[in-house]
Amino acid sequence: MPPAQNSVQRLFGALAQAGRVLTGRQIAGRGLTVFADDIFLVSYPRSGNTWTRFLLGNLIDQNDLVTFSNIESRIPEIYFNRDRFLRQLPRPRMLKSHECFQPHYPRVIYIVRDPRDVAVSFYHHNVKARNIPDDYPMASFVPRFIAGEFDRKFGSWRDNVLSWTVLRRDDPAFLMLRYEDLKLDPARALASVVAFLERCSFGKIGSSAAELQRAIERSSPERMRALEKQEAGRWILTKGTRSDKPFVRSAISGGWKSQLARESVAAIESAWGDLMQSLGYTLSSAQTAASVESVPHRGLPL
Amino acid sequence: MKQLNRIGKYLKTLASTALGRTPAGRALTVFPDDIFLVSYFRSGSTWSRFLFGNLIQQNEPVTFTNMERLVPIIYNLPDRALRRLPRVLKSHECFDPRYPRVIYIVRDPRDVAVSFYYYNLKVRVIPDGYSMDEFVDRFVAAKVVPYADRVGCWQDHVLSWVRLREGNPGFRLVRYEDLLADPVKELTNLSPLLGINPTPARIERAVQLSSASHMQSLEKEQSKQWVATKDTRQDISFVREAKSGGWRNKLSANAVRTIEQAWGTTMKELGYDLVMDAKVDRELVKG
Repeated sequence: MPPAQNSVQRLFGALAQAGRVLTGRQIAGRGLTVFADDIFLVSYPRSGNTWTRFLLGNLIDQNDLVTFSNIESRIPEIYFNRDRFLRQLPRPRMLKSHECFQPHYPRVIYIVRDPRDVAVSFYHHNVKARNIPDDYPMASFVPRFIAGEFDRKFGSWRDNVLSWTVLRRDDPAFLMLRYEDLKLDPARALASVVAFLERCSFGKIGSSAAELQRAIERSSPERMRALEKQEAGRWILTKGTRSDKPFVRSAISGGWKSQLARESVAAIESAWGDLMQSLGYTLSSAQTAASVESVPHRGLPL
Repeated sequence: MKQLNRIGKYLKTLASTALGRTPAGRALTVFPDDIFLVSYFRSGSTWSRFLFGNLIQQNEPVTFTNMERLVPIIYNLPDRALRRLPRVLKSHECFDPRYPRVIYIVRDPRDVAVSFYYYNLKVRVIPDGYSMDEFVDRFVAAKVVPYADRVGCWQDHVLSWVRLREGNPGFRLVRYEDLLADPVKELTNLSPLLGINPTPARIERAVQLSSASHMQSLEKEQSKQWVATKDTRQDISFVREAKSGGWRNKLSANAVRTIEQAWGTTMKELGYDLVMDAKVDRELVKG
């Protein structure tokens, strides 16, 4: 970039920042004011955080449907909202964050998702955000994903997941939630979240089978997609991104099997295999090894 | 009064932002070849700024008055100013995935507790005569003072870096005690990470220019100019004993137990022997 353009840009940056301070519009982000009774929904990007926000929002206040227009005042995220706005919300607050380990977050629900699915979802997300072009090869994206090149401040998937699990796994104020379990049996996973929230003295949450079921239906991918169609132009997370690409995508687990080339899968598994296995994600390389072993030994076929 | 304070704070933030003077802190722009000297508070990080500053550049010896220019801390200067300075930066942050090269200095938390107690007296967070036992409880719970509590307790801080980065070529863990016992050896080992290949004489010079006695005499002359000490109590020094094991005379048995019960496993992993264990051994011998 030519220096002149650079300094003009910096000047505008400084003016914009001064303007935000002047009007109390500083974005919370890492400078967020944290209260002792806060509850954080933390995850790496594209790991089901928005879906969890819908599920919990629809369960906590069953008289008011969650939409993309009201989610930011009910379970807001911290990177687009202003600290002053967030400070004025009713307590205890529930906030969405993508940070690596933050020692001052008092209570944390951490959502983890199979990194092979995260890679696929994150690829499409980066197309939508215009960080990579339409025809960008997935095979080039995956190594950059492993190196944590997109949204560097959140670290790589490994940095993010490991930082929280290693430091807080046994802490009663920490709950780990696997996206896949939420997908497989949402009622059961949600009930575990409700139990956690009640332990955190969040207050009573209606969680009968019927209530859980209703919250799940109100947060279904179909309903979220329909809402996105109406509201994407106004929601802070999607405003300004490509409107031909959806934010709510396939909402399935295991999609990587048809979307990732064998080399990409192998790259992810060789980088993070141990951590993946400790979280219960079966490696395709391990499966291959197991099936090889189960074949009766016939000399030296290899 | 509260209202007035709020307005004052607001005006201060406003002015510092408009003039581009907000310290970088966690909003620091990180470059791929940056080197960070990371540690918990009172773990030898100022000493390390002297040591590494004197090792890397040989033009002017590091003092308290040129340190913010030679080996800057990320909490004083704005991001814009830091971009123009040498990029060996001191930080107290808990794990930050962006830091590409990190020298992490860890110190026996029992000594950290004592040193942090006196530091908090100096900066008037606690009054004279404050109970050490009470302070240790707060230290272990990370409820001392908001800016410090934010980066977590000693164990959170150490483990966040060690568990995430140990074995990574851009990360080196150094014990303050080892640095104190044989600084020449430790500096020699760390030189490759710094991208230098110093002669023994150059290392010796760095160690001499960073000795405790030299730093103490510099502090006497400069403590009213250095940002970190100018508004603090001048009757308590910033550079304290610069020794290890001082906790044995300063901490009660209770305070030692509090620390060891909270962080014993991590302490042992780092090679710090526990009083708790020694007692058990003695009882076994007796039995």
